[in-house]
Amino acid sequence: MNAGRTRHIWRALGAGLVAAGLAATAVAHHSFAMFDHENQIKVTGKVKEFQWTNPHVYIELDGRNVKDEAGPEQHFTIECASPGILNRVGWKFNMIKPGDTITVIIAPLRSGEPGGLLKQVTLPDGRKFGNGGPAGKPNIE
Amino acid sequence: MNAFTPGCRHGALFAFVCLAFAIGAPGAPVRAAENDSADAANARLDPRTMMTGSWNRYPDLEEEPLPGFPPPPAIPDPPLKPEFMADWKARRKAVQDAEARGEPLYTHYTACIPDGMPAMMMAMFPMEVLQTPGQITIIQEAYNQVRRIYLNDTLPAFEDAEPLFWGHSVGHWEGDTLVVETIGVKEHVRFRDVPHGKRMRIVERLRLLSADMMEDQVTVTDPDYFTGPWTFKWMYKRRPGYKMQEYVCEANRELLDPETGGVRLKIGK
Repeated sequence: MNAGRTRHIWRALGAGLVAAGLAATAVAHHSFAMFDHENQIKVTGKVKEFQWTNPHVYIELDGRNVKDEAGPEQHFTIECASPGILNRVGWKFNMIKPGDTITVIIAPLRSGEPGGLLKQVTLPDGRKFGNGGPAGKPNIE
Repeated sequence: MNAFTPGCRHGALFAFVCLAFAIGAPGAPVRAAENDSADAANARLDPRTMMTGSWNRYPDLEEEPLPGFPPPPAIPDPPLKPEFMADWKARRKAVQDAEARGEPLYTHYTACIPDGMPAMMMAMFPMEVLQTPGQITIIQEAYNQVRRIYLNDTLPAFEDAEPLFWGHSVGHWEGDTLVVETIGVKEHVRFRDVPHGKRMRIVERLRLLSADMMEDQVTVTDPDYFTGPWTFKWMYKRRPGYKMQEYVCEANRELLDPETGGVRLKIGK
């Protein structure tokens, strides 16, 4: 990672903390503090449902943490941004379908429940999409 | 006095401004030719038609400010009277502590209740302005929020103003500035958790800074809660060609956790 990119990330983190602390509603329907943005995980699995609604889009996914392939399959609820935000960054309401095998990077719930905030999704055709500005970027590959 | 200077009926005080405007302003909107320089286009800005369109907050998340358009300063703390300041500071601290614990507090907004005035003017999502005869309509994409500003109309008395999320708004032109007064915002509709009473008044001064930049200078007064005016500024950048999207909060899974008072994400459908 080069120095310029590091600076950029720190600046983004700083801005995020200020925004979260001072004006949570300025960035989203709710604060994202319930998700662990530091310890992101990568999950691969099969889509059970793709719910395209406000205030958030959800992916219901039966999958496994890629770091624990021998582990049990779990059902994950993955929170995405809103349809408006996602349309603005290139998503389509029908680009994910039940039965699709996808890979997601998520910030897991701090509660330990099997859910998280989407950082990036990789579709069956290899295209990758972020979750819009307020949700932040993946910090793992 | 032409149709573009209706505010001039308001009396002699405005006569000078109105006269200057009637002489200096274009009689009808003029579209800049594509090869015009930006300066030439700006010289023909007609705020009575050119506020119409879609706007983004400025600067947007991760957006580098443009040369010549410094971002608005941070919004200062509200000038609350001492008897309200302690509670407000305690609430803000509780919000920040809950964030730090990773257990954000449940808010009206999380419960899918729109943020109302003046918060909707922060333009969290894109905002659309529509200028029609006698009325300016502002739509905030988040929660489909709509406010209607009636030009050259009068506000009701405070005691007659039905409490609403976006209140009651009237506007008039002072030169190139649209001055909007709003009263009658519900007391539980709070921007940054700041309490207010029935006599809160929001005065906005909306002005085009260029063909594609606009500012909203906001002054909030409340003789019951504030020691003086609370002023801050929001800025917007035009989003050409953007089609506003619908937003109905139909499937909220952020639920109130009665044990913590925080937000809990419902797992599974």
